[in-house]
Amino acid sequence: MTAPFSFTLPPELSANEPPERRGIARDEVRLLVIDRQTHRVEHTRFDRLGEILRRGDLLVFNSSRTLPASLQGCAAPAGPCMEVRLAEHLPDDAWLALLLCQRGDPFGCGLRPGMQIAFGEGLNATVDERDEHIPRLWKLRFSASGSALMDLLHRLGQPIRYEYVSAPWDLDYYQTVYAREPGSAEMPSAGRGFTWKLLFDLRRRGIETAHVLLHTGLSSYMDDDLDALHPASEEEYLVGEPAAEKINRARREGHRVVAVGTTVVRLLESVADETGQIQAGHGYTRLRITASHTLKAVDGLLTGLHEPEASHLDLLTAFLPAETIREIYEDAVRRRYLWHEFGDLNLIL
Amino acid sequence: MNRLTGKYILITGASRGLGRQLAIDFAREGAAGVALVARRAEALQEVCDRIREVSPSTRALVVAADLSKEAEIERTVATTLSDFKGRLDVLVNNASALGPTPLPYLLDYPLEDFLSVLHTNLVTPFLLIKKVLPAMIEQGGSIINVTSDAGVVGYPGWGAYGVSKFGIEGMSQTWAAELAGSPVRVNWVDPGSLNTAMHRAAEPEEDPSEWADPAEVTEVFVYLASDESKDVNGQRFQAQEPNWGRTPEDALHANASSQ
Repeated sequence: MTAPFSFTLPPELSANEPPERRGIARDEVRLLVIDRQTHRVEHTRFDRLGEILRRGDLLVFNSSRTLPASLQGCAAPAGPCMEVRLAEHLPDDAWLALLLCQRGDPFGCGLRPGMQIAFGEGLNATVDERDEHIPRLWKLRFSASGSALMDLLHRLGQPIRYEYVSAPWDLDYYQTVYAREPGSAEMPSAGRGFTWKLLFDLRRRGIETAHVLLHTGLSSYMDDDLDALHPASEEEYLVGEPAAEKINRARREGHRVVAVGTTVVRLLESVADETGQIQAGHGYTRLRITASHTLKAVDGLLTGLHEPEASHLDLLTAFLPAETIREIYEDAVRRRYLWHEFGDLNLIL
Repeated sequence: MNRLTGKYILITGASRGLGRQLAIDFAREGAAGVALVARRAEALQEVCDRIREVSPSTRALVVAADLSKEAEIERTVATTLSDFKGRLDVLVNNASALGPTPLPYLLDYPLEDFLSVLHTNLVTPFLLIKKVLPAMIEQGGSIINVTSDAGVVGYPGWGAYGVSKFGIEGMSQTWAAELAGSPVRVNWVDPGSLNTAMHRAAEPEEDPSEWADPAEVTEVFVYLASDESKDVNGQRFQAQEPNWGRTPEDALHANASSQ
């Protein structure tokens, strides 16, 4: 599987710092609005979202909180040191993680089952086996679990940062304002532009909100060949009864359901039945959404701008033809929109 | 009993004094979970053990943290929400720093100490409220800030502590106004003179036996943590001169007549 189209993204269009550090508020990033029916494009600012949505529209947020999912550890005794990027918490309490050597070939650490990695503060992990779906990932078993592990991750970890980011921004910059339960390897960044002021403004306008949970995995395995295949990672989700009821009611009453982020699309399409009815529940999804997928539960999508070859582009083709997206993306490049988690936003409705 | 059944609560400064007593009394009232936050893990463990005695069904979570550091606040909230599965119903911003003792006049106050007190007493509650709000904004919640009469009267020598409590009074009003219409309520309580280690350090020449025991003032906190106060927002309470009632109307009336 390869990306549905490609385009050239000049490096200066990668947002390398948060909007708040560029002199604007979170909700003052630009917003590119695409009409799914007419393909008409509108350019506005994100804090005017309330002028675009209609009374009764339902925004569905992913309230997963970002983990400081990057840990530095060394194989004991005196083995190679590496960065461990947590990807997924498994049902058996093990974790899938990407292990990157700090020196030389990032995958040349001689990883093998049974290897012990020490992180400090008494936290250790045992390397178990490779993941059968995504072979760059290894299964790890930590010496702590539950809230004790959560506590240690926050003492030892840093947010996962990519090369286009200009500085080691604190974890706070990688959180949405509405983040709740921690568990995401990377920020569900489509919602980063929301401020409480904007959320309250939307509420006053009669725009409804619901919160679901999907702990995001890694967006890159730091391996171009593997990333180009867009392997679908498995992600844990939770849909509570109140959210399921709100979503089902909105659809029943003819209102639009707008997913805030591709994670929410994956989640809702995973738990929807043939009629688009959402079932509350907890589970794991590996659903891959492409042009051949017929959307059952979601009408619109708020998302960021995705880099060339990103697997998220596959998902966008469930909303719009690939050629339309390519043309709009090329226009967005000409208009100097900013890409990535600190960049501008795109509403497809 | 059981006025807090099913509630998940986070208390700062929970290792001693008022915070310790609140944790125990909240558990006694049937709280489902109490996150105990303070610097010293050993002291928190003692409170945790006490909670297990009075209410075995209450989940007591110890989070040893220095809340003057932003990263520690994030760790505290993330650990709590992870343990409580995303639920949090009540936040009590109780932790306070007094500053240097004997209490210097503002004129003599070292800048570093002044900023440190403001950070602990004002900035930390601000950040904690921001971070716990997402867990409360839909199903509702209660934020209780601990204030002092030093937050409404400028006493000589109460320097940064007094200034920080003036700040808490104002910040609480602003939070309450911004959250009006939401299911989250923000109220603040002056517990009055208490026989605590901090108060004894502040006024070593006074007779502490004249001050109330923390156990005597927790009732108003239970009321504010419970659903009995679910429509009460933006109110100042005085624990030792009760200006609060069992109904929102009573509380509003009592508060209005005391002003």
